[in-house]
Amino acid sequence: MAVLLEAGRPPNGPKDLAMSSAVSIIKPHPDRALRRSTLPWHLLRDLVGVVLIAVASLAAGLVTNRFSSRPLPMVYKTPEQRLEAELAQLIGAPAFQSLPVTMIDLGEFRAVVQSKSALILDARSSVFYRLGHVPGALNLARDNFAADYLRLRSKIDQSRDNQVIVYCSGGDCRDSKMVAQALMSLGFTNGAVFGGGWGQWTAAHLPQEPG
Amino acid sequence: MVKIRGVQWFIVALRIGVGAAFVYAGAIKLGDALQFADNIASFRILPGSFINPLALSLPIFEVLSGGLLAVGWFRRPAALAIVIVSAVFLAAIALALERGLTIDCGCFGSGVPSRERMWLDLGRDMILLVGALITVSMRESHLPGPAQSGWTKSPAGVLVNNQHG
Repeated sequence: MAVLLEAGRPPNGPKDLAMSSAVSIIKPHPDRALRRSTLPWHLLRDLVGVVLIAVASLAAGLVTNRFSSRPLPMVYKTPEQRLEAELAQLIGAPAFQSLPVTMIDLGEFRAVVQSKSALILDARSSVFYRLGHVPGALNLARDNFAADYLRLRSKIDQSRDNQVIVYCSGGDCRDSKMVAQALMSLGFTNGAVFGGGWGQWTAAHLPQEPG
Repeated sequence: MVKIRGVQWFIVALRIGVGAAFVYAGAIKLGDALQFADNIASFRILPGSFINPLALSLPIFEVLSGGLLAVGWFRRPAALAIVIVSAVFLAAIALALERGLTIDCGCFGSGVPSRERMWLDLGRDMILLVGALITVSMRESHLPGPAQSGWTKSPAGVLVNNQHG
């Protein structure tokens, strides 16, 4: 019968059709049968493949980190712990203190930016700062605090007794608050935070400065 | 026949789409592992010693598995890897929502943390999970090109095996 079927001859009358139907009914669909019999093996083989991809990724990640300019430590440190370590790099810096900071809204922040009556600091990482920031803002990133502070020291120190307003991405971001607290730990007296951050500033279609 | 071809091409498009989405998601995290570590930590699930190794390896894992799935090499393990990652992210975001956290999952780059964005991330992860599940459940014989199982349909409408016939 297999020969007859493979010869490609069209079914010859009701007898052939009946035989074809019978074969279809008796023999299970070969693909389904194959799937049933090999599923555990396929699954095991696929899982081994997933493990191989994971091991390769971990190895590549560790090697890349090893040769990175700013490698991550193996154990995670919270942003507060990292900022404390950054502050410790500044000679004579006191310990990081969680001091209360003044919060300002978009209206107040916009007026200050327009009048240039305060020092504006962007606490986001330099990558985001370069993509766009509030006009006139300087980049004092939370995660590069010591290096950025030393780089900008002459400009920032002039505002030691003036108002300093810090912002970050907005929403629940803590970077601005932490940078303001770090500056207050360093002796700044008039630190404030624009809580709406970059998100609220851009949502209001206010001017941006690149680079 | 036309209908079958349409389904086959849909599966290929789905495979490439899901793979490309994961390559993109991994690539944008590669540039800022520290930020991604903070995103992982914000879920408050993993201990400190697991967070940084995961932040270093997960973006590469996503790029690798997404790339393999998109080009069709190592297809099933790559799709299974994406199923696992999507399911883990889905569970983590759902858990965070249930615990009342407002976080940025960092799944497709960092942004402003908000509950609305978390729901969007949850929906997007669900779509990717379903797409990857469809891809992983399909056998090679269901994809366009010559049948690889050796079984073809005769003019009589009966399946015959060309390899063992």
